Amino acid sequence: MNLPTALPAAADNNSTDILAIANSPILWACAIGVFLVIIVQSVIYMKAARIAAPSIGMTPIELKTSFRAGAISALGPSLAVVMVAVALLTVFGTPAVLVRIGLIGSVSYETAAAAIAANTAGAELGGPTYTQAVFGLALAAMSLGGAMWMIATLILTPLLKKGDSALRKVNPAIMLVVPGAAMVGAFSVLGIAELPKSWIHVVAFLSSAVIMTILMVIAKRVGKPWIKEWALGIAIILGLAITYAATRL
Amino acid sequence: MPIATQAHQALSAFDKTTSRWGRITMIAGLFFSLSAPAYLVFFSGLDIQVSGILGAFAALAAVFGVIWIVEPLTYYPILGASSMYQAFMIGNISNKLLPSAMIAQSTIGAKPGTRKGELSAVAAICGAATVHLASLFIFVGLLGTWLVSIIPADIVQTVQVYILPTVMGAVLVQAIVSQKAPRSAVIAVAVALVVNFVLLPLIPGLAMFATALAVISTAVLAWFLRDKKATPTVGDDPSNAVNRREDGTPETVSGPTY
Repeated sequence: MNLPTALPAAADNNSTDILAIANSPILWACAIGVFLVIIVQSVIYMKAARIAAPSIGMTPIELKTSFRAGAISALGPSLAVVMVAVALLTVFGTPAVLVRIGLIGSVSYETAAAAIAANTAGAELGGPTYTQAVFGLALAAMSLGGAMWMIATLILTPLLKKGDSALRKVNPAIMLVVPGAAMVGAFSVLGIAELPKSWIHVVAFLSSAVIMTILMVIAKRVGKPWIKEWALGIAIILGLAITYAATRL
Repeated sequence: MPIATQAHQALSAFDKTTSRWGRITMIAGLFFSLSAPAYLVFFSGLDIQVSGILGAFAALAAVFGVIWIVEPLTYYPILGASSMYQAFMIGNISNKLLPSAMIAQSTIGAKPGTRKGELSAVAAICGAATVHLASLFIFVGLLGTWLVSIIPADIVQTVQVYILPTVMGAVLVQAIVSQKAPRSAVIAVAVALVVNFVLLPLIPGLAMFATALAVISTAVLAWFLRDKKATPTVGDDPSNAVNRREDGTPETVSGPTY
């Protein structure tokens, strides 16, 4: 680890040396805090489950088997997330990537949120306008956006548990159509907005889109779910490699 | 019925512990995740205006606001109350936690929706969290930082400049495939093209609102142009609509949802 190189004193609004600020020890401390909270939560939950299990005729072995099955089936997806996370390390720094992409959030929403936030400041993610101040704004927006999911969970879960029928009366057709359309809409407008910037942006966008399409088709043909798991990471890394080759032309 | 009472007591103790500590830990997670930007904004010496953050947040709310509410509603019937506090903090729900929970349930022959299924899901998510935290810590926290330190500067620069189009290319395809709503996809791409290549060149002042405008137009158009035969009517049991995702989970395994 490279902690000593990242002193808070390196803060400089107009510097594009994002990592000087993004890898600061305080951000590391916050990331480790989130790690510890999840560990504490898991320990409390496992203990509670172990106490409750016998009363519903569930053996400790069944509980252990469930834990192990969950752990094993998470291996592939976790390593796939690791691959995507590593690709984004130079953009957001390690602590932000760990928390935003690895844990609470996901690559698609967080990258979109960072891009939207940078746009409101008249800047772009990456490149000469991506200064330390823009990174700070992007991280604030990503974190607030992620917080909204958690706040919604904190508010809605007890209501749903009480069987609040008003919430369940939300028109199911709206539930099916609108969020999906909003999601695809967000990613298409953000993606297509990149195209007019330069021909290399077009190469970057198209190469990863084409690789993703090919991987999805293969996954469907051969019926191997692990290909879908890894598709995003593979498409991003290969897309970046092709883009890098294009910049050398 | 002493046995039933005992079971009832044990389960309500479980519910009480998980909902209390689930909430406490989630609030603690919220605190740490907001502390990082709070430090940058207020103490790092960077000049980041609160009004700028509010503007960025408003833009984000216009784009993702619906999803903030709808995702917890969608996952609740699948996850159950106790796992909600785990899932929305650990993240990567659709591509990691749901498959883990389902595999665990089928391994021990517990049905989703039953109490046994719920405990099995809780244990599975704990197992998934353990593996996930360990792999993130080792491969991203330790090795990743080292990896970045040895990557040549020109590659770092390429990644920084072109990461957004690269991520969006792959994510867009993934979203279209996982949503399986071709009409919405066509509308989304058409709206994005119109906004970026017609509207923005004509009215450059719209740039700040372009994403929100495109997303809201897409959602509205997708709603009015939806295939009315394929979507359930208002009279249907809403939980069916919510559970539809559960049936389709193998297909949405790599969906870019939380």
